[in-house]
Amino acid sequence: MVVVQTADFDPAALYAALQARAGDAAGATVSFIGTVRDYAPGETTRSLFLDHYPGMCEREIQALCDTAAQRWRILEATVVHRVGELALGDRIVFVGVASAHRGDAFRACEYIIDALKTRAPFWKRETLTSGRAFWVRQDEADAHKTAQWDTRTPHHES
Amino acid sequence: MSGATIEVLYFAQVAEHMGTRRETLALAAPTTAAQWLADLVARCPALAPAERLKLAVNQEHVDHRATIRPGDEVAVFEPVTGG
Repeated sequence: MVVVQTADFDPAALYAALQARAGDAAGATVSFIGTVRDYAPGETTRSLFLDHYPGMCEREIQALCDTAAQRWRILEATVVHRVGELALGDRIVFVGVASAHRGDAFRACEYIIDALKTRAPFWKRETLTSGRAFWVRQDEADAHKTAQWDTRTPHHES
Repeated sequence: MSGATIEVLYFAQVAEHMGTRRETLALAAPTTAAQWLADLVARCPALAPAERLKLAVNQEHVDHRATIRPGDEVAVFEPVTGG
């Protein structure tokens, strides 16, 4: 399930719905929640605005979930990503993966959030408490992490 | 005449530089993404360097060697920063 929305989400409700879809075979559920943090060194973040490409966002994230399902044994995945105005501490993204085994769930969840950061068309504009605003630059470490997944051998295929 | 145009979408900082989020541009014949981007940057120098810009054609990521054809939906943006 992939959803892009402005409203906040309820992690407990998303977890319950994920488990219900995955069924009794789901022995392991791993979830990741990203929140708005203080990005800039030396100055305090007041808020974030997230721009996005409607349609392509959902397609890219669904493609990442499909790739995860090919690489690891997972039963279901949920990704909810927020857009629009967000305040410091607000939830931005939920990634949940249900699997029979924790190893596949952990790896698939980490892959989806890593790849989302470099492939899903979202852009953050940060506003500081001083009122200064700027578009956030892509973290080279994030790009490197995603590139690593392309060369790493999945556990269950080895 | 829709076949002789492309729908162009701009996002985030690129949209700010362009002063719009969407426009219809004439495109009579297929061209490379690199050439098309060079023309766009010539029109809006604030977008430079062109090498930094990312493109999607019909909602798929493409590199600058891709071909843009009349009728395509082309999106121009900087590296993504979601998550």
